[in-house]
Amino acid sequence: MFDGSPEDHFPVPAARTSAWRPVTQESPLVRAVLIAVALGGLAILVVAPLIVVFAEALAKGAGEALRSLAKPEALSAIRLTLIVAAITVPLNAIFGIAAAWTITKFDFRGKAFLITLIDLPFSISPVVAGLALVLLFGTNSLIGGWLVAQNFPIIFALPGIVLASIFVTFPFVARELIPVMIEQGRAEEEAALTLGASGWRVFLTVTLPNIKWALLYGVLLCNARAMGEFGAVAVVSGKIRGQTATMPITIEMMYNEYFSVAAFSLATVLALLGLLTLALKTLLEWRHADQLAATRRH
Amino acid sequence: MALALRLQKSPMPGFGLGMGITLAMLSLVVILPVVALLARGVSYGPEAVWATINTPRVWAALYLSFRLAFLAALFNLVFGSLLAWVLARYDFPGRRLIDAFVDLPFALPTAVAGIALTALYAPNGTFGSIAKSLDGKIAYTQWGILIALIFVGLPFVTRTVQPVIAEIEQEVEEASATLGAGRFYTMRRVILPMLLPAALTGFALSLARAVGEYGSVIFIAGNLPMKTEIAPLLIVIKLEEFDYGGAAAIGIAMLVISFSMLLVINLIQIWSRRRIGHV
Repeated sequence: MFDGSPEDHFPVPAARTSAWRPVTQESPLVRAVLIAVALGGLAILVVAPLIVVFAEALAKGAGEALRSLAKPEALSAIRLTLIVAAITVPLNAIFGIAAAWTITKFDFRGKAFLITLIDLPFSISPVVAGLALVLLFGTNSLIGGWLVAQNFPIIFALPGIVLASIFVTFPFVARELIPVMIEQGRAEEEAALTLGASGWRVFLTVTLPNIKWALLYGVLLCNARAMGEFGAVAVVSGKIRGQTATMPITIEMMYNEYFSVAAFSLATVLALLGLLTLALKTLLEWRHADQLAATRRH
Repeated sequence: MALALRLQKSPMPGFGLGMGITLAMLSLVVILPVVALLARGVSYGPEAVWATINTPRVWAALYLSFRLAFLAALFNLVFGSLLAWVLARYDFPGRRLIDAFVDLPFALPTAVAGIALTALYAPNGTFGSIAKSLDGKIAYTQWGILIALIFVGLPFVTRTVQPVIAEIEQEVEEASATLGAGRFYTMRRVILPMLLPAALTGFALSLARAVGEYGSVIFIAGNLPMKTEIAPLLIVIKLEEFDYGGAAAIGIAMLVISFSMLLVINLIQIWSRRRIGHV
């Protein structure tokens, strides 16, 4: 039996040779349970609702779904939502760039307070935001009354919807840009200025290339929220059919009138837009993680 | 607004323009409307504001909104941290795709989520019919509201915790194991404290989002006064009755309660950061 090899005298425990794992890992069973809980939870909570949108839209066939999208009510909603996004997103991008430039390139008192104010819309309910806009610009307010007299109503009209959309998307672009620009510092811009470049030239040729992916990332998120906003827009829009009813508002009206296929068909358009946003966002995260790294650290 | 703009000398151009755009947008879109809301509360009178809030229906709505938002954020704190751990530490097929799907609640408009969840959990829906066969009801009850609030807040905790897990140096866990700690003990005493500040940030974001959520909730809630009527809906109802003062009163109450809650969470966060050291 004993041939003198050390293993016979000091047998290595079987458990350690067969199922050896680093001390920084959980046992395979724990792992499997955690993965199953995570995936199962995600499937029930997130994936199932998405599938239901498509299933309900196609409940009476693809033809019926497409016909419901061609109705004037749906078309005008799509048009309005595109207009709102086309105004909101550029304004928000300009604001985000201006705010990030001011905050990261200069030192001034009250900077932390300014950042808090920019983040404020995240902690205000969209409905309260809409209410605040109604109280400021509604017909029975001082400013609103005067604007209506000038034939430029804000509430129950396009400007109000745009203001509400800007409110709820307010921090999106600035929040993406600020961490990236802090990380990149000011040295490159200062060098360009020393070499005689004008302020605009410095921004366009030095700063913008450094922040373009983070900017695109912020714009994507801003666009998705602007097109999908419901609460704030519901309060300021007045829900006038064919005039101030955006896609989410029209979905609500159709759903409440039991036009299920029409509601879910329009919802499918927004869901596809959401999936597209998600895909582009993920692509940016994979390919330009270096530039976005700062944003994921919060 | 006492922004003391004392600028230190900087060679960089564009301070005036940048600050001008920032303050103009901030004032027009955020500050002036919020001031108008508070001013309406003042002109309505403190007694009238209190009289509006101090009715059983408003108290029930506020209590419902904040209680369910807290429970949803709590669920997201636990499940979101678990999800972050699985996505950051384990490798399995489709991990990157699933990682991307975590953000779906951010990308899916709330009204779409609202009608989808209702279709799913209504008595004739896929999950609702299962509940019905067990003599339960999900949609049009507080359970339905809870599910909608969990949905909209799901990604926050995962997205704040995940980068922190990725940055934990494994030497720390090895050191803990060398000193004789079991895996569970290391988790509880070494890893969880490191994740706590980030998890609390995610919890606060999830809570803030859930408290004010409207679009995804109203479809599934049933909106019965005293039972399934959330506070934001009450504001909408007051507005539809042209009761601007009443709407402002509830809006102010929501602002005050959410800011106090976020303040408390911030204080807990400062405390936990100080206790654990820098993370």
